[in-house]
Amino acid sequence: MTWATGTIYSPGCNYYDMGFTYDVNRYTPKQMVIIPMILLILALISVGITMAQTGLPVKPGIDFSGGTAVTVFTTDSAEQISAYFAGYPLVGIEEGINNGKYLTFSNMPDAQFRTLSDLIMAKYPDAKVDQIGEAFGKTLQSQAVLALIFSFIGMAIVVFITFRIFVPSVAVVLSAFADIVMTAGAMNVLGIPLTLPTTAALLMLIGYSVDSDILLTMRVLKRQGKLEEKLDGAFHTGIIMTSTAIAAVAAMWVVSWYGQVLVINLIASVLLIGLAFDILNTWLTNAGIIKWYVTKKGGPGLTGTATPRQDTKKRGGK
Amino acid sequence: MNKDEIITLLKDWRVALLIILVVASLIAIYPHFENGEFTTNLQYGLDLQKGAWLQLEFKSEVVGFQTDKPVNEFIASLKNQTDAEIFLVGDKLEIRKLYSQAELTPIFEKAGGKITSYQQGVAKATADDVKRILESKINSLGTRDARINTLTGLDGVTRYIRVELAGVTMSEAQQVVGKQGKFEIRVITTGNQSEHVVFGDTITGVGNPTQEPPGSGKWGVSFTMSEDGAKALQAAAIQYGAVSDPENHELQMLLDGKVIYSAPLSKELAANLQHEVVRQLLASTGAGATGQQAAQNLEIHLRNGALPVDVTVAGSGAVSASLGDHFKVICLLAGILALITVGLVVYYRYREPAIVLPMVCINASEIIILLGISVFTIQLDLATIAGLIAVLGTGIDQLIIITDEILHEGKVPSPNIYQKRLSRALGIIVASAATVVIAMLPLALMDLSSLRGFAIITILGVLIGVTITRPAYGRIIMAILSK
Repeated sequence: MTWATGTIYSPGCNYYDMGFTYDVNRYTPKQMVIIPMILLILALISVGITMAQTGLPVKPGIDFSGGTAVTVFTTDSAEQISAYFAGYPLVGIEEGINNGKYLTFSNMPDAQFRTLSDLIMAKYPDAKVDQIGEAFGKTLQSQAVLALIFSFIGMAIVVFITFRIFVPSVAVVLSAFADIVMTAGAMNVLGIPLTLPTTAALLMLIGYSVDSDILLTMRVLKRQGKLEEKLDGAFHTGIIMTSTAIAAVAAMWVVSWYGQVLVINLIASVLLIGLAFDILNTWLTNAGIIKWYVTKKGGPGLTGTATPRQDTKKRGGK
Repeated sequence: MNKDEIITLLKDWRVALLIILVVASLIAIYPHFENGEFTTNLQYGLDLQKGAWLQLEFKSEVVGFQTDKPVNEFIASLKNQTDAEIFLVGDKLEIRKLYSQAELTPIFEKAGGKITSYQQGVAKATADDVKRILESKINSLGTRDARINTLTGLDGVTRYIRVELAGVTMSEAQQVVGKQGKFEIRVITTGNQSEHVVFGDTITGVGNPTQEPPGSGKWGVSFTMSEDGAKALQAAAIQYGAVSDPENHELQMLLDGKVIYSAPLSKELAANLQHEVVRQLLASTGAGATGQQAAQNLEIHLRNGALPVDVTVAGSGAVSASLGDHFKVICLLAGILALITVGLVVYYRYREPAIVLPMVCINASEIIILLGISVFTIQLDLATIAGLIAVLGTGIDQLIIITDEILHEGKVPSPNIYQKRLSRALGIIVASAATVVIAMLPLALMDLSSLRGFAIITILGVLIGVTITRPAYGRIIMAILSK
């Protein structure tokens, strides 16, 4: 085996165009953060209004409000179905492709549910039935809210321990926060309910969104070189990361939509929305703040102050 | 890459470990054909196979209290007012009947105390008791794949118990939980002949397994019989000689026709029965751990399959076999398609099969190892599958970080610099992995019913990535790039 120098690929000067051009160095920090901040405020308003109405940031699905959900594949029309379940509190019939139907019932007494489940089994023996009582839904709801809060705090602590500098850490935490809130706002707009699976997706977003933020911050703070080059390099790595994640989730979305697997489809929808906002928040919010922070502190020289893990040997810049 | 180089690469411990784990996982998953059908060892949750689940809520509460009176007196007064079974558990009371805090407050005041805390549910020990009873009921129905989990809060109070039964419909599951056995007491007449004494409906109350006398290490279960039942028992004991000759005329308990307990009357009880009706009885089961185990089982049988605490169905669900199979196929498709699209995007970026192929293979190996581990730890359900695909997404992200970090400034570095760049890339990866683990930890610990598997698979995926697959990828990509 021999060691040789060769060029296969070179970020920053000869990358392949992803069909989307954005020059991370073109705008001032203020210009960068203005759009996400407006969106964040709008999202906070939407989340706040829903919170006031339902007690949750996103309208709760049956997992939290209680009720019964039935997944079934049938050629029966919505009218036929509602006629069949006339005596029961049927509140919604969603129709997907391939004859997939998703029925929701509001809370009903135990005895009524038992006759309903017999009725469902008689008419649609292949259905999937899930029923959550109102009180149990409340328990799940409070646990889910706790999980979200603990996750977020835990993430913030890890970020602060990793960077040990205030402003960059806040930038990472803020953009993760913005991801979650904007996604929650979009869920309200699109009518995606908060259920156990979508809660899981929101938590997953915390992990996903921090990925590219950490990359950006590490590259800018702990590498040597010109700020522009570092931002540029980070952007071209980061954007491909998010693109592949989006590709994986989009595949999940398409297949679950085709097969009418609602649980996976909802998780995929939330992740897709969140990843799209993540691009915005990483490369506008976070990049804007870190750019402001580094320029204010006096340019690339700063790297020396923030580097427990710095290379001792200086690599040749261009 | 020539043969020698491949051998050197395979000898690297990081690469070797990865290959060993993938092979071990494949063996654990064991994909094979059985009766012409493709099967594996993977365990499926109730989304992906036929089955039903019931979430039961205890109609009972655990209440903290304060009183100046002796505790026994206080409890007796509460019992009189509520007509409920009340037990002292630690420093709290378990009241086995559902009352709201508002309803209990005046009752406690009247008894001379006050409520300091209120929590719906039962003590952990009672919940375990219920779990045992349900397990024994399900076992008595034959080979069913059942899982019963109690959901205990941080305060030690269990409010819910979840029963998952594979292969049954919802109404079958409801029957199983509600089913009661046929309990009977008989007396030996001569040899192995016996006569009927009473049925289980004459047993009106059953205590928890206790040591009798307390602290003696001798275990037993006390129970109360109805007036009529006790009279019938007395009459039969006298008639068939169990009173005069206890050793040759044992009393037996039978459940569904099977003898589950058989013992002579004690001298003291035999003497008492000669001239009075005894309603409070104790079935002693012997000393030590065996005695305790026997007492626990006997308690379940005496209860006749009834639970010590009333429950309501808080949630339930069922999936049919055909829908479960449909979901399985869709999940498999989603996974494969995700892997392919990820491969395409990465190829679009690097245009170099020598980079893309190892990336995709490493990604796939991660999923295989995760599935291998899941065989021993968790059941796969829809949420878990979504977690797997999410792991696939984060996994490829981190491989990109490594690749770009190593290729920094477009040149393949010398070994020395390569090591530094790899460890810097791993620094970024470890930090982001730590955030994912922390973000998922509350879900993994909180037992939020169906989301636990999702959180565990995500955490495992990240850990395997950081410790095994990423280092191996770093080594492989170096060997390829140095060409």
